[in-house]
Amino acid sequence: MKYIYSIIKADYLQRTRSYAFLITLAITFYAAYSFVPPPTASYTTLNVVGFKGIYNSAWVGYVSGMMTAIMLSLYGFFLVNGGIKKDIDTEVGLIIATTPITNFEYLLSKMLSNLLVLLTIAGCTFGVSIIMFFVRTNGSPFIISNFIIPYLLFVMPAMFFISSLAVLAEVFLGRKSILQYIIFFFFFGALMANINGQKNETLSVIIDPFGVRTMTSSIKNQINIQFHEHIDAVNLGFIFNQKLGFKTFEWNGITITNLLLFSRVLWLLFSIALVYLSSFFFHRFDFKQAVSKKKKSSPHEQQPAVLAFASTGINRGLMPPLVTNYGIFPFIKTELLLLIRKGSKWFWLVIVGISASMLFAPMAISHLYILPVLWFLQVTRWSELATKEETNRLHYFTYASYKPLQRMLPAQILAGVILAIVLALPLIVRYVIALNGYAIFNIVNGAICIVLLAVCLGIVSKGKKLFEILFFLLTYALTQSIPVADYLGAMKHDSHVGYIAVVLSLNSLLVLISFAMRGYQSRHL
Amino acid sequence: MSLVIKNLTKQYNRHKTGLTDYSITIEKGILGLLGPNGAGKSTLMKIIATISKPTKGTLFLDGEDIVANPDRIRKILGYLPQDFGVYPNLNANEFLEYIAAMKGVGGNSLRKRIDMLLEAVNLTADAKRPIGTYSGGMKQRIGIAQALLNDPKVLIFDEPTVGLDPEERVRFRQLISDLADDCIIILSSHIVSDIETIADEVAIMKNGMLLNKAAQPDIIKMVNGKVFEVLVNNDEVATLRTKHLVIDTGRQKDKTRVRFIVKTNQPEPSAIAANATLEDAYLFLTQNNG
Repeated sequence: MKYIYSIIKADYLQRTRSYAFLITLAITFYAAYSFVPPPTASYTTLNVVGFKGIYNSAWVGYVSGMMTAIMLSLYGFFLVNGGIKKDIDTEVGLIIATTPITNFEYLLSKMLSNLLVLLTIAGCTFGVSIIMFFVRTNGSPFIISNFIIPYLLFVMPAMFFISSLAVLAEVFLGRKSILQYIIFFFFFGALMANINGQKNETLSVIIDPFGVRTMTSSIKNQINIQFHEHIDAVNLGFIFNQKLGFKTFEWNGITITNLLLFSRVLWLLFSIALVYLSSFFFHRFDFKQAVSKKKKSSPHEQQPAVLAFASTGINRGLMPPLVTNYGIFPFIKTELLLLIRKGSKWFWLVIVGISASMLFAPMAISHLYILPVLWFLQVTRWSELATKEETNRLHYFTYASYKPLQRMLPAQILAGVILAIVLALPLIVRYVIALNGYAIFNIVNGAICIVLLAVCLGIVSKGKKLFEILFFLLTYALTQSIPVADYLGAMKHDSHVGYIAVVLSLNSLLVLISFAMRGYQSRHL
Repeated sequence: MSLVIKNLTKQYNRHKTGLTDYSITIEKGILGLLGPNGAGKSTLMKIIATISKPTKGTLFLDGEDIVANPDRIRKILGYLPQDFGVYPNLNANEFLEYIAAMKGVGGNSLRKRIDMLLEAVNLTADAKRPIGTYSGGMKQRIGIAQALLNDPKVLIFDEPTVGLDPEERVRFRQLISDLADDCIIILSSHIVSDIETIADEVAIMKNGMLLNKAAQPDIIKMVNGKVFEVLVNNDEVATLRTKHLVIDTGRQKDKTRVRFIVKTNQPEPSAIAANATLEDAYLFLTQNNG
């Protein structure tokens, strides 16, 4: 166990010393600020139809803790996922494999460094929640335990679970990132459904990793008793609603029951048990066996080594004359080739199937649910658009090429947009038949927007993760019908022109940042 | 054709300097860059390849400022970086087509050009295999092929023989020698013998500064008459190190053969004068400066 501390420390420092983490922290500060909206805001984060909680330390502390537990679980999985992959890519894993560290110790250290990263972020939201209490309340007493308890009972077990889930996903699904994302997407949806489910109360509290079922029940009970109501749903997350009349109530926090404490400890133990279970299936960076099972070496690979260079050398006189071509089409072709070849061929069948389903599904469903999910399935392709040169250490060539900014970057963006539009074609065709130019324009604009976001975040953060997290959140929010996440015009907006102008402005800003940053990077290696 | 570099300085941050007031004129032929790790070889090559901007100084290619107008050199540049990679999902043909597009090479003759280069680096049989399945030496050869795609007039090779086996290294040197007639070739290497056999001129660098640049015989001349070899008892080697610059040692049963350069002291009476090499001159210059 003595190795664990060093591995956790190194892993934690490696992850947190990145632009992506800094940007994530900046977004976290903003998110933590938005967890406690002003009374005039057009959204709430905890909503009971017709009622509103008075802002006191319990409300601010618990809502902040609940939102941190849920939101950080949602994107934290993506943030910390990839610790083992990094050790594979950097070949540090090979060194680790030769040390006496056991599989369980190694995976536990990965899980704990995941936890540390997530707790760092949670620590920021905790700090902001206290600040927000003083900003949003007026004379209400400050009770510190109302801030600490939700972070201990909601956030800590949730982060434990997400940290171990990331390890579990990496051990069992390895490099199948998309499959991991899809499974997590549905798993998270099921967890959220449990919070407001009508099932057995005791069981629901136990199987809720966030612990917030106790909080929502407490709020429901108080309203039902105080106002003689029969409320059975408390909505969590960013809920945009019209301002209707409401009654206010004062809520003073949960009663900590033995059941709640038991369930929290159970989730901590379950998380460690998951890591322990994974350790029996961990590859320990030995991939040869797995490869030999799948594919026998080709006869070509068994051939003896040939002479390295032809003895004739290069006769420049015999070379065909040099023909110049400074167009971008050869780039687009290669970029498309790289996009298509990424991932398994079988998965393309699934993608084509989903795309074709938009020919038959109701148009509104296709636009709001199927197309965003279909595009999200391209997340690992688009996140690589502007990062793959550096990942593959090819940027020396690309930056030294002729006019890289005017030729390569536009080609990468165009290839990404072409892929998005081709996948959306079935829906576009239906809109053409329906003569709905506005919807078509929005889809194309949305395709450009999401590809530009991928390119821009890739260039700025020099990594894929930030875009992948943000795209997941956008897709999830869109499927929850949150208007601000609607980048492809799937929902109704007050003004067509206003909506188009917002997306176009965003696209222009993303183009500007991408080109300016890439221009700088290409001359400052 | 000439590349004139004047007072080049590259300051990464307050504490780290890549190059300091570096001036050199490079003419047609092969210039070998020698220097210990951190000497600034790769920094200099990156600046010439236009992927790094100097903090101060100028670079002129045939009178044209390539810091202000990098596309001028990019059209005629062949660059093999020290630590380059490939797209593993592309095969050699596709990869070279991609690099050709970067360099602005196209037309119907591109295919033939690629075929000839693949033949020259002996990768024709593997041209349709994904590069991800190549060995280190094969990847290095595809890197060499890409550098030659656009018939370059300025060729920069940063540690090109890394990953090549001894036979591949010999063939590579022949290949480069054939190209040297009508272009500038800048070649850096830790392996002095790679430079020794093919470079017309040698530039020795240390701590971001140019220590010397001259034709090989002129550089070797600096240590002529100063290189000796002696067979001593094993416990005498340490004493020798304090008196002379020890270049090499080799154990022979209970004795050690020591090759050294005299500083100011007289050599041991039993020492025999040896023919000076580029490696002797290189070590003499780098260990006596800074």
